[in-house]
Amino acid sequence: MPRLRPSLFWAARRDISPFAALLLQVCRDLPSTANELRWIREHIASTSSLVPSKLRLWKMCEKRAKGVPLQYVLGTQPFGGLEIKCRPGVLIPRHETEAYTTELAQILLRQTPTRLSILDLCTGTGCIALGLLSLLPPPVHVHGIDISPIAISLANTNLDHNTRLGLLAPQPSSIHFTQADIFSPSLLPSLTPHAWDLLISNPPYISRGAFARETARAVRNYEPRLALVPDRDDETAGLGCASEDVFYARLLQLAGVLTPRRAFFEAAGIEQAVRVINMVKGDARLSGLYPQVEIWRDNPHKEYEVQRFGDHEVPFRGSGGARAVYLCQSDQL
Amino acid sequence: MLAAPWVCRSCARSLRSVGSPRLLRRASTIAALPPALVERARKIAAEHDKLTTALETDFDQKTAVRAGEISRVATALREFEKASASLAELRSLLESNDTELRELARDDLESTQAQLADLGRKLSVALTPKHPFADMPCLLEIRPGPGGTEGRFFADSLFRMYRSYCENKGYPTRIVKYEVSESDGQKGSEGEVALQEAVLEVQQIGAYGEFRGESGMHRVQRVPATEKSGRTHTSAVAVWVLPSFPESPSTDAESEWDNPESDFYIDVAEVRVETMRARGAGGQHVNKTESAIRLTHMPTGTMVSMQDSRSQHTNRREAWRLLRSRMAQQKREAREELAQKLKSSVLASSQITRGDKIRTYNYQQDRCTEHRSGLDVHNLPNVLDGGEKLGEILESVQGWLTERDIQMILAEEQADAAPKGKKGK
Repeated sequence: MPRLRPSLFWAARRDISPFAALLLQVCRDLPSTANELRWIREHIASTSSLVPSKLRLWKMCEKRAKGVPLQYVLGTQPFGGLEIKCRPGVLIPRHETEAYTTELAQILLRQTPTRLSILDLCTGTGCIALGLLSLLPPPVHVHGIDISPIAISLANTNLDHNTRLGLLAPQPSSIHFTQADIFSPSLLPSLTPHAWDLLISNPPYISRGAFARETARAVRNYEPRLALVPDRDDETAGLGCASEDVFYARLLQLAGVLTPRRAFFEAAGIEQAVRVINMVKGDARLSGLYPQVEIWRDNPHKEYEVQRFGDHEVPFRGSGGARAVYLCQSDQL
Repeated sequence: MLAAPWVCRSCARSLRSVGSPRLLRRASTIAALPPALVERARKIAAEHDKLTTALETDFDQKTAVRAGEISRVATALREFEKASASLAELRSLLESNDTELRELARDDLESTQAQLADLGRKLSVALTPKHPFADMPCLLEIRPGPGGTEGRFFADSLFRMYRSYCENKGYPTRIVKYEVSESDGQKGSEGEVALQEAVLEVQQIGAYGEFRGESGMHRVQRVPATEKSGRTHTSAVAVWVLPSFPESPSTDAESEWDNPESDFYIDVAEVRVETMRARGAGGQHVNKTESAIRLTHMPTGTMVSMQDSRSQHTNRREAWRLLRSRMAQQKREAREELAQKLKSSVLASSQITRGDKIRTYNYQQDRCTEHRSGLDVHNLPNVLDGGEKLGEILESVQGWLTERDIQMILAEEQADAAPKGKKGK
């Protein structure tokens, strides 16, 4: 990270606020510093506390200056029309996730008028599950699964929180979160009875090397490694793939058994997305089941571009970096 | 020795306003309608009569709509002519030999004259076309001009003025955007902050019609709180008034989003959407808080960026709303300009565009001057609190706008008459 000029700190102190000089250490430029300070102020103004507001502001700015993600400092992150609570130990919802969830809901809205059932693996805060629930018409069944008990309790809290705020219509039985390890052999028997419309997952996908080198400091130091890096050496050997792709191997295994109409997995970038597509194409059963394969970029919209990899062509949707793999059964894209 | 005595500026101003030609002109417009206008009204009334007789025998949707549109003019003209006929009658009675009758006529004359003036104004209002966005709620955009902190403080004063005016009038408002540059706790003389840009939505039906005269440069002259040697500074604040449309999907304006004929229509393919986090890795690797959205309408280069909310969803929605409003305004301005060019160029200088200085707020003299209608209002604090004095100013601007519209119609009438005369020769 390049060093910031001292004059920038003076400018922040003079033009914005003395607190801005603190935040500048992590925000790195003046406009985003001003924004973050304003959001912190707004948060303090909108919540009541016995602690004097100036002290709260100072505490929060100090915490943020240490590198704690803003979402953990404020405790929430907007996701579509929802307000998702964030706590240390659970991954913070990303803007890219929000973008593809919204786009995916549009596709589901256009094509399936009947009751939808959605399976969200590695649900974390529950943002994808709740986001889809809020965007789709009422008869929707959503099941979220995560290995971490903190995540499951937070996902349930988020359901209550958004229902209380009126951002979600009260639907008692249509969504539930359960704690389970998706590698466990006892997972499948509990899931089979449904005809799933969508299997969606934002699994841990960062390799150990990339975690050390490429991740932002706030992510590396404060977000749970469990949600970011797949440390599954036992299963990796069994499934025969790279250690960062082990979740995709297992997800595709599940997709082969559950045969959902659509499957959607977030991925790190173009290389990983192509590796996942090669896993699908390399398996006769899966490539028969999902003839339609797409790679979605950061800003998914209707523009397509076709690129060739090896002996098959892959359509790319939208603009930006490659972000996810979308599989679909025939003529339902 | 011939030397004019020294007269202070405010006195000179008050002397000038006594015999202001502007006021005289307006007075004459109202009392006696220009013959061209009456002629136009007669023409429209004749058309109305013809249409109604046609409708009696054969009903046609289009004809009925047109008849409904111009019935306003026909009714106003009928009443106006009745009043002028009775005035003429009264005048002839004044000539009579009967003393008692003369007395009676004199008593009636005054009230009839007032009535006639009123009806004349009604007629001219009926003749002026209604602004297509007049019934809409509006967005007030306030931005300081060049002039440092002082202009920013005054921008905040204006923002507060409009907000409290709406409060006093009971109009619902919403702050769409309020960007402040915090200058280390520095505050203006009345606790205002340094405003960079603000957008206030007045969610009242007809607010656009009421506030549309407000767009332009507002000039302030005062000694700033930061000024140590007591010099008066002049700075300017720009105000734009844009039509807004209600958020509920049931309204006409929103249903027109997809209608290519509408002013609010934007081809989505022509808009570039940028989320300002394109650089570097994404996904789980980083955790960016930037939620800014920038929309660029590529054919015109109009750009809107929103970063007020932490939610990208909200920013996107607000950015689209603002872009639609701006585009609609631009389209209308372009249309108006075109119409202006086609018509006479007499009024071109009074066309409201973004450049004109329209009002001055002078703190030392406790005065607010509306340059277009020539109205001077004292009691500046009341104006800045959005009190009834501001209402007076707004009313005078409305009067000015109506007058301008009448003159445009007159110009149009003359333009119509000119080629006919040539043909006749």
